[in-house]
Amino acid sequence: MNATGLSKAGDSGAVLDSRRDSRLRALGRISRRHPLGAFGGFVLLVIVVLAVGAPYLAPFDPVDGNSAALYSPPNSIYWLGTDGFGRDILSRLIYGARISLLVGLGASLLGVGVGASIGIIAGYRGGWTDIIAQRVMDAMLAFPMLLLALAMAAVLGPALHNVIIALAMPIVPRAARIARSSVLVLKATAFIEAARATGCSSARIMLRHVLPNTMAPLLIIATAYLGLAIVQEAALDYLGAGIQEPQASWGLMMSGSATTLALVAPWIVIFPGLAIFLMVLASNLLGDAIRDLLDPKLQRDYP
Amino acid sequence: MKTSRPSNCSAISRRDALKTAGVAVAAAVAAPRWASAQTPKRGGTLRVSNGGDPPDFDVHQSATYLTQFVGAPCYSTLLRADPRDYNRLVADLAEKWDISPDGKTVTFQLHGGVVFHDGTPLTAEDVIYSLDRIRKPPRGIVSPRKGLLGNIASIEAAGPLTVVMRLTEPQPDFLFMVSNPYNVIVPKKVCEPLDAQGQGMKRHIVGTGPFRLTQAIDGQIYELSRFDSYFGEKAYLDKIQFFPIKGEVERGAALQGKRIDASFFFPNEAVLSTLRKVPGITELRRPTPTFVNLIPNVQRKPFDDIRVREALSLAVDREAFIKTVGPLAGAFYHSIGLMPPGSPYSLSAEQIKQFGGYDTLPGLGGNVAANRQRAISLLEQAGVPKDFKIVIITRGDLPAFRDSAINVAAQLKTIGLDATVDVRDTGSFYTMETKGDFQLVAHSVAMGGSVPDQIFGEGYTSYGGRNYGNWKDDALDNLFRDQSREANPQKRTELIKKFQLEFLKTYYQINLAWVGYGAAHLNTVKGWVALPDIYANMQMDKVWLDA
Amino acid sequence: MFSFILQRLVIGIVTLFGVAVMVFIIMRVIPGDAAVMLSGAGAGVVSEEELAQVRSKMGLDRPVVIQFADWAGNIAALDLGTSLRTGNPVIKDIARRFPYTAQIVVMATLIAVCLGIPAGVLSARYAGTWIDRVLQALSIGGLAAPSFWVGLILILGLVALFQWSAPLLWEPFWVSPAKSLAQLFWPALAVGLRQLALIARMTRSIMLEVLGEDYIRTARAKGLSEWDVVVRHGLSNGLLPVVTLIGFEFSALFGGLIITEAVFSVPGLGQYVVASILNRDYPAAQGIVLVLAGIVVLGNLTVDLIYGWLDPRTRLRGAQA
Repeated sequence: MNATGLSKAGDSGAVLDSRRDSRLRALGRISRRHPLGAFGGFVLLVIVVLAVGAPYLAPFDPVDGNSAALYSPPNSIYWLGTDGFGRDILSRLIYGARISLLVGLGASLLGVGVGASIGIIAGYRGGWTDIIAQRVMDAMLAFPMLLLALAMAAVLGPALHNVIIALAMPIVPRAARIARSSVLVLKATAFIEAARATGCSSARIMLRHVLPNTMAPLLIIATAYLGLAIVQEAALDYLGAGIQEPQASWGLMMSGSATTLALVAPWIVIFPGLAIFLMVLASNLLGDAIRDLLDPKLQRDYP
Repeated sequence: MKTSRPSNCSAISRRDALKTAGVAVAAAVAAPRWASAQTPKRGGTLRVSNGGDPPDFDVHQSATYLTQFVGAPCYSTLLRADPRDYNRLVADLAEKWDISPDGKTVTFQLHGGVVFHDGTPLTAEDVIYSLDRIRKPPRGIVSPRKGLLGNIASIEAAGPLTVVMRLTEPQPDFLFMVSNPYNVIVPKKVCEPLDAQGQGMKRHIVGTGPFRLTQAIDGQIYELSRFDSYFGEKAYLDKIQFFPIKGEVERGAALQGKRIDASFFFPNEAVLSTLRKVPGITELRRPTPTFVNLIPNVQRKPFDDIRVREALSLAVDREAFIKTVGPLAGAFYHSIGLMPPGSPYSLSAEQIKQFGGYDTLPGLGGNVAANRQRAISLLEQAGVPKDFKIVIITRGDLPAFRDSAINVAAQLKTIGLDATVDVRDTGSFYTMETKGDFQLVAHSVAMGGSVPDQIFGEGYTSYGGRNYGNWKDDALDNLFRDQSREANPQKRTELIKKFQLEFLKTYYQINLAWVGYGAAHLNTVKGWVALPDIYANMQMDKVWLDA
Repeated sequence: MFSFILQRLVIGIVTLFGVAVMVFIIMRVIPGDAAVMLSGAGAGVVSEEELAQVRSKMGLDRPVVIQFADWAGNIAALDLGTSLRTGNPVIKDIARRFPYTAQIVVMATLIAVCLGIPAGVLSARYAGTWIDRVLQALSIGGLAAPSFWVGLILILGLVALFQWSAPLLWEPFWVSPAKSLAQLFWPALAVGLRQLALIARMTRSIMLEVLGEDYIRTARAKGLSEWDVVVRHGLSNGLLPVVTLIGFEFSALFGGLIITEAVFSVPGLGQYVVASILNRDYPAAQGIVLVLAGIVVLGNLTVDLIYGWLDPRTRLRGAQA
């Protein structure tokens, strides 16, 4: 229960401190052993900070353009240059981080949450529930991620929450598959039988016993699909089916007049793509490190 | 290398060449004689690129250059613009025409020996069917320019090649209405059954023009070949090929690489200026009767309140708009009033300044901050809450639409409105617009002519095809009709100016800037003359290749 | 073996049916009233009466289940309806565009395999050295780079350096193979990049495992050349996982393909599906989405069968799943 083995009421502060210290030290140790993962985590942290603090950190308004500084190259005032409307690219990148994070995290968590639930229930119950759920998931899996997201976004409309739902949909069957196979593995042991024998209800079993055991692969999938969700979101925005102007979104920043000005003002298309690249890279590296930590035996190269 | 720099106030000398009612004019056969220093060579294929596929081939139902550019070489109108003088009309299908002394009867004498591409001869019936199709479209057929021919009471044949049109009122601008480049003549025998099916001429081109359609592969190529039984002088070119290339940069690169010979649609200044530096390419930009309007849906709260509409107009700094959207979309021009830049009917600076927001036009020295303050208080008075959500719908494929909307949304934010843009594809954009399913729309209105009856008739009357905002105002409509039938030029000028003042007061539509489109072609392309109108003179019958 | 094939086929068919149902459900809800689109409301106003007429003509007013049965029946007869946008039968549009997409898929996979496996082998062979590190960095980069950004940058570079522009007329492969390969090379590269990176990484880790095995040491001890050791003994183990990977990533490949075709303006199925969906051309959208999902199902089925043929163990396991 306590890290140091000594605990007196008056020492609770000291106990907490030392627990925190040891956690930090553990973090430090892990970081040294997995430098790439640490780097990924750090980059993500920076992006989160930028996104949260956007109104304070962004040097200019992302929507208001300066008509005297149209598509100007990076300079001392506009560090990454301006776009066709005279809007500061750095500020738009910072605000765009909000969208990418929100959508990436939202879609990833929603998809994994719903998918895992379906997978666990299907695996646990077996029988027709399982067969039907599997076929439905198979059908969903047959849709390329972008295709499903595009169709859903077109149907639901270009609001942010719709984009999140649209991007969560391709993740659901993949998470369901993983969760289901975890349950099947558990079923093969006597674990569940034992739990039932002690009188646990099905729901309790699934929640309290099955779920924690599938957390590891689910977490890996969540980080893997975080990157993919962000890329798909950018693709949706680029095609015009996602976030709309004049809001700032990384995918949107590369579409429209950006492509027409690309030869004379390449920074307009280069930087947003670079941002996406960095964020996906970071989440991939972090995901790899997490996977290594949780189960180094797992095959590394596909989710 | 012929270039024309965009300037803020382009001075095009405009001679008023309207025929006035009351004077019978028997126009001589005006056979177009294009001044040409060299002898045109025959043969060759002209490769042109447009910014996309034509959504369909039915010119009457269309409002986009994508259809009109492909259709124009295949069809004829009764009259067409003189390439040497945009304000004059010369013969096309109509050999002769005259107007009765009372100005209410116009008789057209058609060319003899005209055949359609399918070999059938043209008769007065085809002209009657075509014009009736425009002014009284059959069920299932859409006609945006219906109102332009609204003054026609009846059209009859007075002989196999004679068409008589009776007007309700005399109309000095009438011939210009008829000669709108979209008002092409289609064959009754082919079109009528297709109209009955509700399909119209969407998948077919059968016309009397110098070229006919020989190949159409969506996404790749649209090919026209010379029609050797053309009633006029045979075209010089063997073929015209249209290639859809969406990206302007790619189009410019294709031109530079000599993979295409011409593109007549370059909104973006950066691309055009890249081409300016290339030897062997002629590029130009000229103003056109295209203007960007902000159109509120008057049927929806709070846009039924004139204070709100005025606030919208006050919010927009037009000079900043022109500076920003100009390079992106060609919206470099502005006019004082509702008529095109440099028009003799333009208002004075003093007159325009009284309307909210218009003093921010370049050179008029308006105070943007003060305007916006006033806009905020007007919104308060009208009870519009802060951060009121407004969605501006627009078209995604044209910068004049899309980038205008983006800039306007940003400017509306300065008066406390939470404005976003909904970029739509052409199809669903028009659907929403015509159903009135929007709050605010940023529309780049491209007219097929620049006379008052065209601009006001289509753009600023209750029944005009561009009244997307669904406002109704009998006084304005009556004032329009008054100027339309006024024979005396001085009186008419007064009425035209009065109309503009009365309309501007209402803020039913808020004018921002005028658009000029760029065009570029290899120097081997000869005989193409750019008129201050993108739709005019696109039949290509006088174009030849100096290969 | 036979029962394995049969089982897989049945699952495939059921999945296809499920896909059809899903497509129909999604597309029926698309806003932008199909009746208004069909009546040609380009720039004018259409009356309610006309809309009702169009609705009944198109069968939009019948119960949903009947509409689905109709549509499914038509699909079985290879009638996917008529596109509102192009006016052609959807099946004809798809047939015309199919070769380009198929070619990109094949080329992308070939590029990924032909570059990815050697990269992985090299990486494993020189594990720990700078060669390995560079290759690993490249593959991590390849995984993270969004394919449409790569496409945009590629185009930028090509235009700026070589005055490149998209081909005006895309040559089908059987008309002029060399030109066709050249035209589709860049889009295929952008599409195949992710696969390339994945294959390289996977080959590397497999080779590392394999190269440490005893029988490899034996082979080396016997004096066999590096080539023999690495390629013949090591690589044969890597084939199965690569096939699995390709199958697993098949659907992701199509996702990248859709957006890349849009960027490069390739007149393939990807561009068609984007245009159909964004233009609310619902007959075409229904048809093309079904076809694309169907291709993925067939592709997965094929990979499953190949896998089963290559590895007898799966046949037994598969029967239990």
